[in-house]
Amino acid sequence: MSFALPARQITFGRSNASQQQQPYQPQQQPQYQQQQQHGLALPSSNPYMSQPSTQLPGPSPLFNSYSQPTQTGQSQSHSPPVTSTNAVAGPSTPTATPVPSTPVPLTLEQQHITAVEGIVPTLQNIVATVNLDCRLDLKTIALHARNAEYNPKRFAAVIMRIRDPKTTALIFASGKMVVTGAKSEDDSRLASRKYARIVQKLGFVAKFSEFKIQNIVGSCDVKFPIRLEGLAYSHGQFSSYEPELFPGLIYRMIKPKVVLLIFVSGKIVLTGAKVREEIYTAFNTIYTVLCEFRKP
Amino acid sequence: MASAYYEFYRGSSIGMALTDSLDELITTGAITPQLAMKVLQQFDKSLADTMVKQVKTKTTLKGHLHTYRLCDDVWTFIVKNPSFKMESNEMVTASRIKIIACKNGEAIEAGKK
Repeated sequence: MSFALPARQITFGRSNASQQQQPYQPQQQPQYQQQQQHGLALPSSNPYMSQPSTQLPGPSPLFNSYSQPTQTGQSQSHSPPVTSTNAVAGPSTPTATPVPSTPVPLTLEQQHITAVEGIVPTLQNIVATVNLDCRLDLKTIALHARNAEYNPKRFAAVIMRIRDPKTTALIFASGKMVVTGAKSEDDSRLASRKYARIVQKLGFVAKFSEFKIQNIVGSCDVKFPIRLEGLAYSHGQFSSYEPELFPGLIYRMIKPKVVLLIFVSGKIVLTGAKVREEIYTAFNTIYTVLCEFRKP
Repeated sequence: MASAYYEFYRGSSIGMALTDSLDELITTGAITPQLAMKVLQQFDKSLADTMVKQVKTKTTLKGHLHTYRLCDDVWTFIVKNPSFKMESNEMVTASRIKIIACKNGEAIEAGKK
């Protein structure tokens, strides 16, 4: 019920353009910390800081309505009752302290926003490439490695799988390798290292170079049905909706450059990102748009 | 085109018996080794065809696939704790088995096209 007024948020959401980077910060931080705990400082951690300000202004004019309680408390500082909490909330906003604005009566819109916070896209697949920098004899690999398939008539690579992290690798004779199926950047890197090690153990002078994450896929559920026709109509330049071909709407977001598959059911698939922050940014950007096209 | 057939059935008990008999015939001078080879090649072919065309018995197998491999059109599976359910509802278990699966003669011919 409280979800019924999502678009109203714009009015005060826009007033604090300087804080655009905050909307998704709190949800992200837990993930970000997890990443660090693994001890592998991935390059992808960095864009997190630089992106928000540049990338949030996506195709939607409403992007900022997706904001945090802390922020909303602050942005409402025009209204007298809030100013008191604002003093507290103001300095602490960068660290995104959870809801210091308890004394402030939450409006419907604000409650709606806090509910949004609960939705964080789950990473489903990460595709990475590695260069082992060494010619490989695929038949040797297929014969000696476990869980390997090699059928040169069908495909010119060895398909190898490991159980932990559960991933699949395509290993080419040129020494290039594609690792798919990982659920996190760290897993992807770890798996790639494991494959490189397996190849090494078979007697090749494999190196581990040029590791690069090529694609990240995430998904989530906004838990309300969406009017895809309306969305396709008003966001025509980004959308492609051909229900006779595919039941989902294909939304090609420009900034961040992410493709979203949006389904009537409210389930969303986000793909095409190189770093996980792009997935989060894209979701936050699209969420406000989706609220607009919520099915009554 | 007898060479298109695998020779692994020669290792089965019926194949061993045939090989022993042929050996004996060769040593007694009843047949030439060339003829014995011909017989074995025909055996490879006949058994492969028979397995495909006449053996209708089925069994279902469940277990944990520990390792698999595909190379040169031969699948190798190592299955841990398999349990076979025979058609007679009899259950047979083992701790570890290795399955080697090859294409039969016709499939090999089909693959070449």
